[in-house]
Amino acid sequence: MNRTVTLIVLALAVVCGLPWLVSENGYLLRVMTLLMLFAAMAQSWNIVGGLANQISLGHAAFFGLGAYTSTILLIRVGLSPWLGVVAGMLVAAAAGALLSLPTMRLKGHYFALATLAFGEVMRSIGNTWSSVTGGPAGISVPLVPDGGLVLMQFSSTRPYFYIMLVALLVITGIYWKISHSRLGYELRAVKANVDSAEVIGIHTTRTKMLAATISAGLMGACGVLYAQFNFFFDPDSVFSLVSVSVRIALICIIGGIGTVAGPIIGACFLLPLEELFNATLSSAGAGLSQLAFGLILILIILIEPRGLQTLYQRLVARRTA
Amino acid sequence: MALLQAILDGLMLGGVYAVISIGLTLVFGVVSIVNFAQAQFLMVGMYVAYFAWRHLSLDPLLGSLLAFAVVFALGYLIQQQLIRRVLKAPEVAQIFLTVGILIVLENLALIGFGSEFKSVQVWYQNESLEFFDLIVSMPYAIAFCASVVAGLVIWWVLAKTWWGRTVRATAQDPMAAKLIGIDPDQVYRLAFGLGVGLTAFGGAIILPYLTVSPSVGEQFGVLMFTVVVLGGLGNVLGAVVGGVCVGIIQSVSGLYLPLQLQNLVLFVVFILTLALRPEGLLRHKS
Repeated sequence: MNRTVTLIVLALAVVCGLPWLVSENGYLLRVMTLLMLFAAMAQSWNIVGGLANQISLGHAAFFGLGAYTSTILLIRVGLSPWLGVVAGMLVAAAAGALLSLPTMRLKGHYFALATLAFGEVMRSIGNTWSSVTGGPAGISVPLVPDGGLVLMQFSSTRPYFYIMLVALLVITGIYWKISHSRLGYELRAVKANVDSAEVIGIHTTRTKMLAATISAGLMGACGVLYAQFNFFFDPDSVFSLVSVSVRIALICIIGGIGTVAGPIIGACFLLPLEELFNATLSSAGAGLSQLAFGLILILIILIEPRGLQTLYQRLVARRTA
Repeated sequence: MALLQAILDGLMLGGVYAVISIGLTLVFGVVSIVNFAQAQFLMVGMYVAYFAWRHLSLDPLLGSLLAFAVVFALGYLIQQQLIRRVLKAPEVAQIFLTVGILIVLENLALIGFGSEFKSVQVWYQNESLEFFDLIVSMPYAIAFCASVVAGLVIWWVLAKTWWGRTVRATAQDPMAAKLIGIDPDQVYRLAFGLGVGLTAFGGAIILPYLTVSPSVGEQFGVLMFTVVVLGGLGNVLGAVVGGVCVGIIQSVSGLYLPLQLQNLVLFVVFILTLALRPEGLLRHKS
């Protein structure tokens, strides 16, 4: 146990030092910042996808809701994005709770279908309701020259890196806390067998709803951070099925669904790989890097759907056997 | 009168929705896989018909047979090489394998054919039929008729032929089917090919009134799932009823709502069906 703690502290110290080894507005730091954010998003997904084993294909809905909530509030009433994080989280959590009312009794494919449809509908609303969202043309976070800390606007990428890192740590902490709490054990019981869980007195629907609401709220907070970091977004990018919903699920699959380290391992593997593809393939035409993404997904599923951690254990076992 | 016209339009649309969704529900009913990439096979079918029209001057109605054949073969191979491997895997593997196929197909089309919208020109494109005061546009009427024919053929194949019986036997109990000498793997390959082929056929016959692009499948994904969930996943007759319902809902809601919000209406129908009749939907699984 002590060794694990030492290792974590050491790793954290190294990660905190990373932004000072690369140029403060460079490409590398940008990738590292997005890596932190996507690990945080995947960790939010993991609460529902991992602990409750409910495969959501619609988490982009909550991500986009968070991004739009804070940005619209900032433009209309000048609300600081720090408070926007809270607002985005509340709106996304409310949407998550609302969606879970009809969907939480669904299992497997049906739940995946319902959440996928929800994400697609949010995308279509985002594109249609132009008076509020700015429509397909997208929306920009207004740049204020002296915005600074109050408006979460920085000229260097370094502060964003630390913000995303804190988000990842907080969400990972929440995941860890939940998985060791009463809620976590209840979720595991529900995952193992809904009927037996019901018999031993677990309010299964309420348990799953609670997890879905927390997961959606955290995803909304991530959306706010993304909006502040990227300064511009449109419905097709924040409500995207492939580049948000499927991607964070894939990160969890690669790292190992339902493990606390899974989303971090997965993000450290997938994002650099994607960037490598982007760097080498983007000159060859649109679609190639997404194609590579799809192929990685298929390969992982065929080789080891339980992810790299299990694959590693399998290889070690084979060597010792 | 406007309402009657909308219902008629909805019926014409619904016939096509029924055919493309029969493919999806067939794959689920027989192979027990929810194919998230089904709408991308529709896109492939549209491209096959488009290129057949452009290079061979084949009318999309004839091209639809070619689309069926090409996508049938593609589906056969995908079942043999990919889907077969996850049939006994956890649901998460099944879901993401077909999502992976979705991404691959869409981007292959983008790389191969570019992102432009492509359309065909045929002589009947601007024709229309009139009964009393009702108007039916010719391409819609033709697509509807082609769907009815395809639906009848599929019904005949499943209900009356030996092969259809082996399919239904395998869907009911693969183990028992094996005992009487049916090879379930072969049935799965043919059924998956038939399912995606049928959807591709549906894509080809709507080409005269739609344009094709790599992302055209996105318009149909949620729609097809609404149809099959309404009818009960795995239920072929249900898909016909669901298809007509969705067509009419879509076209009647178009009278009162802006075009883009039709998706929202479909979603509400979809979620309400899932919420109010979940046991009815799950019944087919066991």
